[in-house]
Amino acid sequence: MSLIQVDNLWKTYDMGNEQVNALQSVTLKIEKGEYVAIMGPSGSGKSTLMNLIGCLDTPSQGVYMLNGNDVASMDDNELARIRNKEIGFVFQTFNLLPRATSLHNVELPLIYNGTSREGRREKAEKALGKVGLSDRMMHQPNELSGGQRQRVAIARALVNDPSIILADEPTGNLDTNTGDEIMGLIQELNRQGNTVIVVTHEYEIAKKARRIIFLRDGKIEKEEYKQVG
Amino acid sequence: MLIDIEAVRIGLQAIWANKLRSSLTIIGVFFGVLSVITIITLMQAMMDGIEEQLSALGPSTFMVNKFGIITSREDYMDALKRKDLTVEDMGAVEEGCLDCEYVAARCYRFGSVKRKSEKLRNVPILGSTANFIDVIDFQVEHGRFFTEMEYQHKRQVAFVGPTIVEELFPGVIDPLGKTIKISGKKYKITGIAKKRGSMMGNNQDNFLVIPLTTQIKYFGKPRHNLALAIKAKNVETVTNTQDQVRSILRARRGVDYYDDDDFSILTAESIMAFVESITLMTRVVIGGIASISMVVGGIVIMNIMMVSVSERTREIGIRKSIGAMRKNIITQFLYEALILTLLGGLLGTSAGIGLAAILGEMMSIDVSVTFLSVAIGMSISLLVGLFFGIYPAVKAAQLDPIEALRYE
Ligand SMILES: Nc1ncnc2c1ncn2[C@@H]1O[C@H](COP(=O)(O)OP(=O)(O)O)[C@@H](O)[C@H]1O
Ligand SMILES: [Mg+2]
Repeated sequence: MSLIQVDNLWKTYDMGNEQVNALQSVTLKIEKGEYVAIMGPSGSGKSTLMNLIGCLDTPSQGVYMLNGNDVASMDDNELARIRNKEIGFVFQTFNLLPRATSLHNVELPLIYNGTSREGRREKAEKALGKVGLSDRMMHQPNELSGGQRQRVAIARALVNDPSIILADEPTGNLDTNTGDEIMGLIQELNRQGNTVIVVTHEYEIAKKARRIIFLRDGKIEKEEYKQVG
Repeated sequence: MLIDIEAVRIGLQAIWANKLRSSLTIIGVFFGVLSVITIITLMQAMMDGIEEQLSALGPSTFMVNKFGIITSREDYMDALKRKDLTVEDMGAVEEGCLDCEYVAARCYRFGSVKRKSEKLRNVPILGSTANFIDVIDFQVEHGRFFTEMEYQHKRQVAFVGPTIVEELFPGVIDPLGKTIKISGKKYKITGIAKKRGSMMGNNQDNFLVIPLTTQIKYFGKPRHNLALAIKAKNVETVTNTQDQVRSILRARRGVDYYDDDDFSILTAESIMAFVESITLMTRVVIGGIASISMVVGGIVIMNIMMVSVSERTREIGIRKSIGAMRKNIITQFLYEALILTLLGGLLGTSAGIGLAAILGEMMSIDVSVTFLSVAIGMSISLLVGLFFGIYPAVKAAQLDPIEALRYE
């Protein structure tokens, strides 16, 4: 059983007089522990696919099995639980709560699954330690650099020990050096056993993954596997 | 439970971060609750005051008079046709009513009261039987009421209210035995009543009681305004006693079997019921006005909460994307609304009680803080918070996570 199994997936937006197929018949499998990059030009459906995999969105057609469970059959609360426990999402725009400290931002997913105060604190500190921000726990996002903010977001994605980490253009708002650092961190997470899917439109970044999926016009154009030493 | 503490924390944070918006909400609730509480507290105090006044008429006591409770001009015209009650009626009741402990009579007049150069005009001058003091709860401060002997011999004696003493005998502590002039005739003071204070701007200590016989001698026969005050021997059977009195009076006054009484029997209870019935309309109207102000406050809250939700769309998206369920979002916004309304309610309740106390002081009504008014104030604000907070909260919870995240 694959961790992710997507079969003939469609996402169609009804724009009144025309229909936009953001995804067309996408079929793919991703195994536990894989490091997958998704590439493609702007508007090719990368984010749409990530949102579907991350259970933030529901497909118009097709089947998505996560850990052997059919996502289509889940209700709102079950989807929320999946987002909370199974998925760690890292966004291009960080999406941190602006008025909360790093620590609180990282604790947030734990609050929604009822972890005790002490447990929350301990796990959040550990996650912040992993991304190298032990000394920035009480800082609010506006007191942090872009790279540091993305580290906080990664710590938040990690804190519940999810099945998959999804990163949609995590370096899109960062300069090259900082972006490289973040990618290094994500690669390190994969090395430690996390399943990682990264969206990027830079081949230099995608190259670090063992598998690259190319999207164009909502379809999988080709896949590239390679041996990484 | 953990999540609830979290919701309170988030609520407080949001409230603190938007001080202007929060103050507006609090002010909205504040004025609503303020008006409701002021009105309820004052009305309650007024009713309590009337009830206390009526309690001078104990549970075993009732009055018989010509007019009863008049609520319309027709009532008045009908009652005017009735025969006056007379001293003889009183005698007949006293003789015939076995269950009556005391049968007293009293008649109202107004006159001037003078001592040396001091003069009071338009003082209520009650003429009564000597047992009036046994029926009506006058508390004696000094001296005594007048006696049966004094009554029989039409003596010029007076039992006076404390205001009379204060006005006519400034500085004198004990004016017992001193003489005053009532409408030109000299009277000796036998006793002074205990101070009762004012009630709704009405000084209850400004009166005199003289023997009814003396009053008849100098002021003439009583007409409409002679009333009987009767105390039953037994509290439990007071209605039977009333029936006895009723049949004696009907027989004496020649009322036909099918006709209504040509007199009225009043009890503290019936008077109170009447007062409640005439103030009901006022209370309903005022209550309506107060409710409208609460609804206005509620709509203000709803609007402000809607603004709060739309401003925080992105935050809602973030929370949902990391696993917040609908109920978490609902709780968060509902708590925010509840904290604001309860705060407004608390302030409004306190200020309302304060305002009622000030107004009460001006109208000489005793206002006390009742559990009822506090409970009403707080539950109104709670209900308003829930009712008007739930819609924005549900709206927030229904936001689509992707769209919410994309919101700028
Ligand atoms: N909410 C939406 N309504 C209408 N069209 C949308 C919506 N979201 C995405 N699309 C369209 O779907 C296509 C894929 O979008 P997206 O997945 O965001 O592309 P990418 O992330 O690869 O740049 C685009 O043509 C985009 O315009
Ligand atoms: Mg995109």
